[in-house]
Amino acid sequence: MAEKNLLTIKDLVLYFRTSKGAVKAVDKVNFELGFREAVVVLGESGCGKTSLAKALLRLLPRNVEAYSGSIVLDGLDTMALNDEEYRQQIRWVRMSLVPQAAMNSLNPVLRVGDQVAEPMMVHHGVKKEEALEQAKKMFQHVGVPADFLTRYAFELSGGMRQRVAIAMSLVTAPSLIVLDEPTSALDVLTQANIFNVLKRIKKELEISFILITHDIATSSELADRVAVMYAGQIIESSDAMGFFTEPLHPYSQMLMASVPRLRGDKEPIFITGQPPSLLNPPTGCRFADRCPQRFGKCDQEPPVFEKEGRLVKCWLYE
Amino acid sequence: MTESTAVQSNEAASFAQKSASQTFNRLLKYTAVRLVTLFVTVVIGVYLTILIANMGGYVDQILKGEIRQGISTAVSMDPALRELSVEQRSEMIADRIRIEEERLGLNRPFAIRSLTYLWNALRLEFGRAMNMTSDSGSRLVKNIILERLPSTLVLFGLSNLALFFTSVFLALALSRHYGSFIDKAVVALSPTSAAPPWFYGIFLILIFAALLRWLPFGGMVAAPPPDNPFEYALSLMRHMILPASSLILSSIFLSIYNWRTFFLIYSSEDYVEMAKAKGLNSRDIERRYILRPTLPTIITSFALLLIGLWGGAIITETVFNWPGLGRTVFRAIGQYDTPVIVASTIIFAYLLAVTVFLLDFIYALVDPRVKVGGN
Repeated sequence: MAEKNLLTIKDLVLYFRTSKGAVKAVDKVNFELGFREAVVVLGESGCGKTSLAKALLRLLPRNVEAYSGSIVLDGLDTMALNDEEYRQQIRWVRMSLVPQAAMNSLNPVLRVGDQVAEPMMVHHGVKKEEALEQAKKMFQHVGVPADFLTRYAFELSGGMRQRVAIAMSLVTAPSLIVLDEPTSALDVLTQANIFNVLKRIKKELEISFILITHDIATSSELADRVAVMYAGQIIESSDAMGFFTEPLHPYSQMLMASVPRLRGDKEPIFITGQPPSLLNPPTGCRFADRCPQRFGKCDQEPPVFEKEGRLVKCWLYE
Repeated sequence: MTESTAVQSNEAASFAQKSASQTFNRLLKYTAVRLVTLFVTVVIGVYLTILIANMGGYVDQILKGEIRQGISTAVSMDPALRELSVEQRSEMIADRIRIEEERLGLNRPFAIRSLTYLWNALRLEFGRAMNMTSDSGSRLVKNIILERLPSTLVLFGLSNLALFFTSVFLALALSRHYGSFIDKAVVALSPTSAAPPWFYGIFLILIFAALLRWLPFGGMVAAPPPDNPFEYALSLMRHMILPASSLILSSIFLSIYNWRTFFLIYSSEDYVEMAKAKGLNSRDIERRYILRPTLPTIITSFALLLIGLWGGAIITETVFNWPGLGRTVFRAIGQYDTPVIVASTIIFAYLLAVTVFLLDFIYALVDPRVKVGGN
């Protein structure tokens, strides 16, 4: 059977152990991603977006309570690999990461060129000159002058550092890049620049993206598909066109309505209340407490319903 | 077109030259300022030591009293001088006291003498000890100190180096196995460092020397010392085992605990996680992403450890009967032998000043964020 998806995630679970009990940061997430596709994972702070990225890359903190499910990347079941195999076959070979805070994700005492070239040397066993040559190419792709190779991170502006981080994620030509809020620390102009870079890369290098963000407006530029995360679960997953014009889940609808618009008389709507605690999530629909359309059935956990090829976890679409 | 490029490259070259000479000037100025400030600090420190070691001049009174008493007793007890009259004898006593005081320089006021001391000390002219002699009978302070230096360095040098490198590397390993049984054990054992080395020394002597009779009680080599250099070294090693173990035992756990916590803090930096995500192996991560950024701290700690060897450890040396510097200085303090005290202090002050001075440049070498003399 030929694999039609680049990435298939089934029942991915990541719980953290705390003194108060298990925090269910990623709770049975199912998810698919095709080749050369960009999916945007949307959600507010604390809903498990970054934990999802960590679970994908197996960058686990020390207090993991449970980590299970299945991740099939490029036909390879990554959960079956041990740590050393995972390091050699997945990290930066098939999947790379652009971190949330590019400010601190570069080693302050190593030249950025060396850091960008490093994965080439580790995974492809090439010589330093060759790796630096490749790094230089990637710098051109993301619009960083080549002479920045010999600079240190503290000599770069925030936008440049983020570009360097993107160049770093591209250097070994992985098939999937996870971008964990790549622009949230940058100003609007730089954000737009970075997104243009990402768009160009997607076209030129045929790479798939998982873009994790809370920024609905900018992410719409890049997305082929959208997944909305709420309280550790994916509650809606659909194509970008459909999602941005007509979101299905009440939470998605309110999320979209909360985006301010320049024209039009609609006031941006905010969602009252807080997302539920991930320590003890409610047994029924996790959004029920804040949902304006809740009804009797919402006390039970909704299954995932399909509507016009779009997936939504809400009783309204039964 | 070509002309303008040439002009540009000329300008660029002159600019580069200018910035290079600027860097040189900045370095020069910084070095000068730094040297002067360090020197002033050393002068102040040494002068304070001179004042304290002399108890602000009160030691003169003590010494004068001792001289007076010693000479009066000697003269009155001397049977050869029985014949002299009381006046003659007291004249003789006064005469001898004057000579002895002149010999020690006690006839001049302390304020002036303290400055002479300072001047001599700064030139590393330590002169003669008041009463102490070296084991070979020399009165020169230089000989008294130099004689003890090798034995201090061999014991404290070796054990502290072993302690430093063991604890740094074990700590690095532990920081990667945070929460493991060994990690918890080290943390639990760290309060054992509350007891000083000599405390462990006493127990080690009791067990390995008194009960088991495996190792010698103390001293540096067997008596008489073996002639063959190989046997000498062997005997030295045998004598070093207990004092070195007590020195290491008393601080190893706390030291590992310290470094482990230090490395833990730095291993949670984002760039370490990034390095992990990049699929580097753990040796590269340790070397390039944990040790490399923390190198300035490690070097500082190491440099201070090296100069900390100066001075030895008084009680541990006493317990093991080890002929080290600590005991010498301790004896000098007990005997108000100010030249020895001052000599020991000024050497330490100079070592410290040189280390601090060099560290600034080493920081600039190992950490690109540090610029010597920059703002």
